[in-house]
Amino acid sequence: MMFRNVINRIAVFIVTLVASSIIVFLLLSALPGDAASTSLGTDASAAALVAKRHELGLDQPLPIRYWVWATNILQGNMGISAISGVNIATDVFNGLQVTLILVITAMIIALIIAFGFGILAARFQDRAFGFIISVLSQVGIAIPSFLAGLILVIVFAVQLRILPATGWVAPDDPGGFASHLILPAFSLGLVQGAIMSRYVRSAMLEVIGDDFMRTARSKGLSRNGALRRHGIRNALVPIMNVAGIEMASMLIGAVVVERVFEIRGLGSLLISSVENRDLPEVQSIVMVLVVLVLVVNLIVDLLSAVIDPRIRGAR
Amino acid sequence: MKVHWMKKISMLASVGIATAMVLSGCAGGTGASSSESGTSANTSIRIGLTPSPANLNFEQTAGQAIPQALMYNVYESLVKLNENGKTIQPLLAKSWKISNDGLTYTFNLRSGVKFSNGDPFNASTVKFNLERLNQWKANTPANLSAIDHVDAVSNTEAKVVLKEPDRNTLFWLTSVLGAMVDPNEVNNMDTQAIGTGPFTVSDYKVGSQMDLKRNDSYWGTKPALRTAQLKYYSDTTSSSNALLSGDIDAIYNFQGYDQIDQFKNDNYTINTGNAQGDTMLVMNPSKGPFSNIKLRQAVMYAVDKDRILKTVINGYGTVLSAPVIPSDPWYKNLSSTYKHDTAKAKQLVQQSGVKDLTVNFTVPTRPYAQSIAQIVKTELDAIGFKVNLTEQEFPAVWIQNTMTNKNYDMTAMWHVEARNVTNYGNANYYWNYNNAKVNSDFAAAKKAGSDTDFNSSMLDAVTQIQQDAPADWLYNTNLITITKKGITGFSKNDVGIAMDLTGVKG
Repeated sequence: MMFRNVINRIAVFIVTLVASSIIVFLLLSALPGDAASTSLGTDASAAALVAKRHELGLDQPLPIRYWVWATNILQGNMGISAISGVNIATDVFNGLQVTLILVITAMIIALIIAFGFGILAARFQDRAFGFIISVLSQVGIAIPSFLAGLILVIVFAVQLRILPATGWVAPDDPGGFASHLILPAFSLGLVQGAIMSRYVRSAMLEVIGDDFMRTARSKGLSRNGALRRHGIRNALVPIMNVAGIEMASMLIGAVVVERVFEIRGLGSLLISSVENRDLPEVQSIVMVLVVLVLVVNLIVDLLSAVIDPRIRGAR
Repeated sequence: MKVHWMKKISMLASVGIATAMVLSGCAGGTGASSSESGTSANTSIRIGLTPSPANLNFEQTAGQAIPQALMYNVYESLVKLNENGKTIQPLLAKSWKISNDGLTYTFNLRSGVKFSNGDPFNASTVKFNLERLNQWKANTPANLSAIDHVDAVSNTEAKVVLKEPDRNTLFWLTSVLGAMVDPNEVNNMDTQAIGTGPFTVSDYKVGSQMDLKRNDSYWGTKPALRTAQLKYYSDTTSSSNALLSGDIDAIYNFQGYDQIDQFKNDNYTINTGNAQGDTMLVMNPSKGPFSNIKLRQAVMYAVDKDRILKTVINGYGTVLSAPVIPSDPWYKNLSSTYKHDTAKAKQLVQQSGVKDLTVNFTVPTRPYAQSIAQIVKTELDAIGFKVNLTEQEFPAVWIQNTMTNKNYDMTAMWHVEARNVTNYGNANYYWNYNNAKVNSDFAAAKKAGSDTDFNSSMLDAVTQIQQDAPADWLYNTNLITITKKGITGFSKNDVGIAMDLTGVKG
């Protein structure tokens, strides 16, 4: 039963992937502006433009361009960037590493905040402390991550000068890596943590009121004990679904945060490629992002089934 | 099973907390050391820049970013433009002679010069490079189209023979068009830069960072810098935060004019010179309301340039009155022609007799253009125009719709190319301007026998263009370079060719 569900989910995954690749390709082809004239600038001659368009394959019909692109990308060949002349696959892979490290660290931070604050807010819901936590998380939700980033930069980089304001260092220099990671990861994670803490709180509140919690307490467990033993686990499934969705929105948030911190991840790569109308590169990046989001969803679905046996049969 | 899951969660949490602790611990250490490195960095420098090169190939890709990083540092030309923008000095050519008919330029080359990969530089290299300009797609190779061929007389003597005299030739040879590229490396120019210059590119991460390293086999005076790291920022706030927090040591050509005040203290030096370029309000003389010269002149009187200079770039620039900037050799202040005068503007609008005064103003999505657009719209409203403002994403959409398709009545654009006034001699350029007298002035300048004649013909052309008012030339920005105290040697002015690092000391 479980096996068939997994196969079904994977089939849905593949169909979605193909459909999104077509949509991405069509949408991007409809954008005004082309790579040839953007690259040649304000003084290009007409002949130079025609030659460049031909060289980039922009004079081919749309279906042919899609077919060439799709078959190449399946073989791991994303082509050569129309603008930078570098291998797109290498570029995207480097950017992906950076973005994944950033997003995963931010997710860990967000989860710690969400569970810490969410559980406290639920536990102390009728007291002033719970109220303060709710207000704090509301403030966190209202702040966009780029603003959080700017505030963190001004405090920790410009004023205190204890962390770098911009840039990225590869993990082979652990000190530099950590110091460059901390501010961007926090600016992504704080906001998402605040958002998710609301879900944790309400999931916990719902669970606290459930019959099995009363049963657990009547068996002699303390309130905290019942929460620990039974509450959190039951609240986990809805929270994980939210975390999956938030993971996807973090990937989008990373686009902005990478720009604020001048980090060369997928996000900033995407923005500069869009600006330059480097369509092969944009298409590859967007497809990688689409795959990531779909994979996260797939994992969340499969994991939910593992955590909660009730879901296994239902899907 | 229950215990199992609880364990996982608490493990995850403790890993997270541990990571956070390790991170904050490490961070303190590195932060402290990075702020110290500024004072001890006497042989290395980290410079913040704003437009990043999309690749390293200036033959195929337009824009100032590539030459800014590579010219005079990695690539060298036969001759070099002094930082005043007027004097031409020897570089790979020790000396040169121009024949009386202005058709032959004989360059006496330095001997023993090698490219950084060991390949020799000689007269055949000059021939190779100057004879393949017709294969360039970007950076206006037409500026050197007067060159007919090059004779490699000996290893150290190259005769550049022109089809017709062109007094601009020497100037364009100082620019990226005159860059001497290793003939064996022309196919790798997107990602590699092999030149004869004092630096080599040791690494380039597209859009974020270029590392330059001193070329120890350089033929000339070795630069003081051992390494220079060029870091590219997508906006001025990021770069000024980076300088304030010690991530970088200098910002070259800083354009965050509202953020300059925070550097006015003992820790930094602010250098102010002239930048290249002309921010202009282009009016399309070939269609729409601005085909009427009276309306174009009305705009000239209506727009308050002092106000624009103050609002848009905080006063860090020079108001212009014609397509000529202070560092052009033929510069003359022509501001008496159109003095700001709203009454006169209204009068011209009436005299024009045009009823439908609707203007399609297409503005690129750049902060300077958007500020200008708001002020101009208010001022044109006041003299009776109805202004339709449309924002166009820059570069892609603006380049296609406004520049390539010339589908606009008015646009605002910051042109940074050096001496691009000659585009008024090109009727196909998006400025859509054509005047026989101007063309003949440009032709006379090319044929001029002396610099004085050349400059006076150029000024004639400029004066005529100003009369015709195909644009309102707003301002020329200052070159602002902010460094940590103790860093010297950046050129005072940007002559539009390079950020010359050869004299920079940390």
